[in-house]
Amino acid sequence: MIPGNRDTRDGILFSLPFLVVFFFFMVYPLLFGLYISFFKWNILSSPTFIGWKNYVDLFRDAKFYSSLLHTLEFVVITTPILLLLGFAMALVVTGKSPMAGLLETVFFIPYIFSMTVVATLWAWIMQKDFGIINQAILLLGGQRIGWLTDEKYAMWSVCIATFWWTAGFNMVLFTAGIKQIPQEVYESAEIDGANSWQRMTHITIPLVAPTTVLCLILQVIASFNVFGQVYVMTGGGPAGSTRVLIQYIYETGFQYFRMGYSAAMSYVLFVIMLIVSVAQYAVLGKRKEA
Amino acid sequence: MRKISSYHRRKTIRTGLLCILDILIILIWLFPLAWLFITSLKLEQDVVSRSFSFWPEHPTWYNYTKAFTSTYILKWLLNSLFVSVLTTILTILVDTPIAYAFAKIRFKGRNVLFWIVMAGMMVPFQVLIVPLYLQFNSYGLINSLVAAVLPRVAFPIGIFIMKQFFQDIPDALEEAAFIDGANRWTIFRKIILPLGKASITTVVILSFINAWNDFLWPLIVINDNIKYTITVGVANFQGTQGTQYSLIMAGAAIASLPQIIFFLIFRKQIIEGIAMSGIKG
Repeated sequence: MIPGNRDTRDGILFSLPFLVVFFFFMVYPLLFGLYISFFKWNILSSPTFIGWKNYVDLFRDAKFYSSLLHTLEFVVITTPILLLLGFAMALVVTGKSPMAGLLETVFFIPYIFSMTVVATLWAWIMQKDFGIINQAILLLGGQRIGWLTDEKYAMWSVCIATFWWTAGFNMVLFTAGIKQIPQEVYESAEIDGANSWQRMTHITIPLVAPTTVLCLILQVIASFNVFGQVYVMTGGGPAGSTRVLIQYIYETGFQYFRMGYSAAMSYVLFVIMLIVSVAQYAVLGKRKEA
Repeated sequence: MRKISSYHRRKTIRTGLLCILDILIILIWLFPLAWLFITSLKLEQDVVSRSFSFWPEHPTWYNYTKAFTSTYILKWLLNSLFVSVLTTILTILVDTPIAYAFAKIRFKGRNVLFWIVMAGMMVPFQVLIVPLYLQFNSYGLINSLVAAVLPRVAFPIGIFIMKQFFQDIPDALEEAAFIDGANRWTIFRKIILPLGKASITTVVILSFINAWNDFLWPLIVINDNIKYTITVGVANFQGTQGTQYSLIMAGAAIASLPQIIFFLIFRKQIIEGIAMSGIKG
């Protein structure tokens, strides 16, 4: 297109710095990790090749199953609620509320705090003996609840902290989606006598669908990657009832130094996430065409 | 007449109720943050006392001075600053040229390369932690801040955002510069970078925030208390200081101050950046 250019040479030169980084810290470790997963590999002794043994062991490891289950539990609880919360916030923020602008900032604010701050704060709020929630319950004449120390509540408590922390992120995506809907569509619907509920169900929700799909995919990936909140708030407890898969991967690799086993586990998680993502694309993509 | 005024009155009442509802929502949503601050101003004996009091009886900055003197919190903040700034600079240095190449240079294999890079977005970081650790171990870089930086530099989302933006810069500008004898490098510096400023700002902000909030990788790769980033330091506060809630909350407040300032300055760009990465990603 441009005369006398050297596109191939320039293309390579401009791509090269990134490709070097990409190779060293993405492609190579990805392949190296797969390689490690076929070895009995700890830092002290020399690695021995053991074939599929790590993977075979994994499928007999009760702790692996329970960690996987807790991760899935977290995904299943947080995904729909965070999507709904984000959407509801976006409706408020784009609506006629007198303080819409302020609300947008307020809903978003928790997201700017780092995970460790949010997790330590909520661990304190939900603390059994002196936490403000239990103090309020006592004042109302109730009994203390072990938000983080009772197996019944611990996972939900972590989820609640997560809702508060990240709902604002989804709100931003939904708000951007809603703002892209042309105002005329709403105006003509109003002229035709559609009430606000009908406008939401017949205009906003269908037209914001691409954003919903995007949010859903991002949220599922983010929820599968849960680790920090759990690690800080409950440490995986009580009695391992909130230990998620990444925590188990971390413990196996960096506390027990079973690198091969840890790598095998992370590959299984990767494959599960790939399958879920591909399934989402397939199902949601099909629906969009219909 | 009367009908209109009753309509107006209904409307005023509705607006008033909405206002009250809004204020209520705002108070509830911000309460945890207020509670963080209130706790940090209390003395520990008032915090873990059987008689509950909401406000601090003797407001004090004691926990703040103690956080600074008995922990490395200032060092952790500086470490995080170092990690985030270096990550951001390196990210921009390597990401902008390839984003330009993907957007404007028609070289062989461009599309294949682009999809390979984008596939990198699908790789969850935890798949890389064991091999990366062994890699850095063999380079002798374990327990160094540089190790916390390098794996975060490959940032495919940033490339995507900038590529989308650079594509919209008219080809005519480049062609005119070519005719005037400019080469690619000059065009990149003199035309693409200035005109692509908005997207570059977005990537700067996103990569800075990501680096600042990173937890799992610095937790693994850094062992010395004094080398912790702020996220790891705060998470380990309990371990090093026992469980002193008022002190922990003061630490959390100090740790958050840079982010609050960052947010106040870049509020618009941060929110737009997320919306942009969402819509186009």
